[in-house]
Amino acid sequence: MKSLLFLGTSSGAGKTTLDAAFCRYLARSGKKVAPFKGSNLSLNSYVTLGGEEIGMGQAFQAWACGIEPTGDMNPVLLKPAGSGRMQIILRGKPHMDIVRDQPWDRDAVMEKACESYDRLMEQYDAVICEGSGSPAELNLMSTDMANVGLMKARRVNSILVGDIERGGVFAAIYGTWLLIPDDLKPLMKGFVINRFRGDASILGSGIERIEKLTGMRCYGIVPYETLKFPEEDSLSQTGGNIGSGDLHEEFVRNLDTLIDNAIAAGVDFEGIAKLLEE
Amino acid sequence: MGIRMDEYDSLSIRANIHVHSGAPMKTIKKRVEDELAAGNIRSNRECPYHPSHFKGQNCTFCYCPFYPCEDERNGHYIRGTKIGDIWSCEDCLFIHRDRTVEYALPRILEKGIAPGDHEGMMEVFRESMDACWKRGKAVMVVGATSDAGKSMTVAALGRILLRRGYLCAPFKSQNMSLNSRVTAKGEEIAMVQMLQAQAMGLTIPNYHMNPILLKPKGNTVSQVVVEGKPFGDYDVPSYYNDFVPGPGREIVRRNIDFLKDHYDFILMEGAGSPAEINIYDKDIANMRAAEIADADCILVVNVEWGGSFAYAIGTVELMPPEDRKRIKGIILNNVRGDPSRMKDGADELSKRCGIPVIGIIPHAEVELPQEDSEAFRGVKERGNGALRIAVIKLPRIANFTDLDPLYTEDTTVVFADCPSDVLTADAVIIPGTKNTIDDYEWLIATGIADAIKCVRGKIPILGICGGYQMMGAELLDPKGIEGREKGCYEGLGLFNDVAYWDKYDKRVIRDRAELIDGGGEVEGYEIHMGLSVVKEKPLFRITSHGRTDETEGSVREDEMLYGTYLHGVLDKPAFRKKFLSLIKPRGEKPVAKTESVDYDEVVDHNLDLLADAFESGLDMDAFLSIMGVKE
Repeated sequence: MKSLLFLGTSSGAGKTTLDAAFCRYLARSGKKVAPFKGSNLSLNSYVTLGGEEIGMGQAFQAWACGIEPTGDMNPVLLKPAGSGRMQIILRGKPHMDIVRDQPWDRDAVMEKACESYDRLMEQYDAVICEGSGSPAELNLMSTDMANVGLMKARRVNSILVGDIERGGVFAAIYGTWLLIPDDLKPLMKGFVINRFRGDASILGSGIERIEKLTGMRCYGIVPYETLKFPEEDSLSQTGGNIGSGDLHEEFVRNLDTLIDNAIAAGVDFEGIAKLLEE
Repeated sequence: MGIRMDEYDSLSIRANIHVHSGAPMKTIKKRVEDELAAGNIRSNRECPYHPSHFKGQNCTFCYCPFYPCEDERNGHYIRGTKIGDIWSCEDCLFIHRDRTVEYALPRILEKGIAPGDHEGMMEVFRESMDACWKRGKAVMVVGATSDAGKSMTVAALGRILLRRGYLCAPFKSQNMSLNSRVTAKGEEIAMVQMLQAQAMGLTIPNYHMNPILLKPKGNTVSQVVVEGKPFGDYDVPSYYNDFVPGPGREIVRRNIDFLKDHYDFILMEGAGSPAEINIYDKDIANMRAAEIADADCILVVNVEWGGSFAYAIGTVELMPPEDRKRIKGIILNNVRGDPSRMKDGADELSKRCGIPVIGIIPHAEVELPQEDSEAFRGVKERGNGALRIAVIKLPRIANFTDLDPLYTEDTTVVFADCPSDVLTADAVIIPGTKNTIDDYEWLIATGIADAIKCVRGKIPILGICGGYQMMGAELLDPKGIEGREKGCYEGLGLFNDVAYWDKYDKRVIRDRAELIDGGGEVEGYEIHMGLSVVKEKPLFRITSHGRTDETEGSVREDEMLYGTYLHGVLDKPAFRKKFLSLIKPRGEKPVAKTESVDYDEVVDHNLDLLADAFESGLDMDAFLSIMGVKE
């Protein structure tokens, strides 16, 4: 399987950034790699050279890959327009506006999203996918496209990103795994703990227990970074916009720093990359 | 809080501590008989001391007819004082409960108990205790994460129970916060427990409600405050390996026991997540405290960031069975938009983990003091009023709830972390800090110190506590008590005052004061290591009982410079109004609002709004059944 899906235990867990960092890691080692996010709920969008509108996160991830963003990288973009209205952008073009509870043909849209995914899989050595929010929203799981939706449709292996900053990270990782449908649990290959401050050795016994309970492997503990990254989603509070200078270059430089620091802290990017060869 | 704390002190001595035998006892009996003869029953709201303990207290017996009852559920002996053993029942609320009065009063009257007939009174007392006294029940609110809304849940549930006539006490065994307050007796506890006590209608919170307070000093070391007094400095390993298994558990136990003797309910609050499995057995803030208190638990999850169902089930499932069975309900908190969209997920969650979801609580836009400064991480500004107040965002900012009253005014509060924030402001406030020296070095390194000197005399500047110390000419720390190293530093030089640290000691005291040039009163509290040699005109005259010769703070009217140790100095309108009125209107800018409110009343009103939001989303039957009451 030459693709991998980064899931998060919540919004703002650090999926976008770690996904970009992994893209950059692969690109640095000479791989032809592309980002993908099945569906994105965001008002922060980017227009590709081809005039397609996609989520800003995927644009930055494309730059991390060293390639130009295209519409396939984020085939479904949902733009909340206030008072319950939402615009659906499909493959970069406005598809329709819906109001709350209005039925729409999700299956058809999902099919288009999968076509985009398949095209990227043909064109690239690796496709690094990003989930949306938490994959364990019991009230949304049946209509999900970016998380269990993609896992079901294309059997993509997954890495779960847990944010330790607010506490409860073990509960979040274990609870997410518990709520993933049983037939998809074998795809849950591992987890990383993000935004850690302090002496990581105190987490050891907790990590071992989660590994034992779930069969997922811990691929590392990512140290807290105060690097400036673009914020994809209005809920994130990690702060910071990119400063002056060439935006893309500065972003990629930041990613390089993050990767170096993470590797120094023992994050096993190489191990994650091996999942692409399974 | 209606009552003057200094007055309360003298009242408590009058009303509740009396020499075991002799003249004072006769006086009490006489007083009770006179009151009864005059028909003075129920709350005497005209009494200047009302309510001395809690909102709605029954003051029929201003003085307890059962004194000294010598029942250890109500009080204790202070042995070997100069005047002999003294029975102290200053924390007893029994005689001020409606049900006690309604039971005891007719019996005292029917039996016609004669003056001095203590045995007769004790008979009624024993009957009253049997009929009316009940040991309190503890229920604990745990959260799936930090910021799950535990504190506000405790406050809201407390207010809901208060509305139904129950007397509750808040409890958090161990709180890590730089935001502390001072109780009437000069004990330091976390601000949030004081706020929760206010929600529960208590006018005199005590240290039992937060017996362990951790105040981070930086470099993973915290000052540990035990039962209101500094206990020692611990780093993370020594805290968990020495303090917790040593004195920790016993401290939790004795304070829970105390509260159970005096209140109907103890609403306990956990800390962070209760499912940190790497430190599970050393965590005395969550399930170990619940075990000690034999408390059922309610799990609160903040749905705002997503993943709430996973957080909830993961938290429950990681607990060993004996802890898991304490969790009696789950609250999904902070739901924006239509709460009904969570319903199906909530039902599924209940089914999967076997615990009912007892509330889906809507997001409440309510301004209440925040527990820790992390709450404004990433936030640059608050409010959008005309007056831009730069509050220096010191790295170890403490008691930043001092600023909350500003949000009731026409202000924008800018959390200043660079010189330009100061240079473009209409006024500057340098807040308190856990470490004056280290934060002063930060102030210089960032260039903010120079910016402050630049605006001196042009706009009003206020320093509070550590900020006040920084405003002086010198900061002397020759033994390295405050800073990481020994050292003496030149201050901002806005005042000629000198701050010094010569011993490991903390001044913790409540103050009542008035502006020395007239203009009104303030109330507040001091919590500081280090003292000041004041060489300026003082800002306040202390009016607290028995301290009339004292003054406080520094002022240079001509340069609009103000400094004080008093936290809460902006709560009452007098000084806040004065400070804001100094801001010169620029162009179209309006001056400060003429009408200012007492911030305490704002808080109380907002606690009601918070409780309303909870009532709207809570399954009250389920909640009350967890509390063990039926309506």
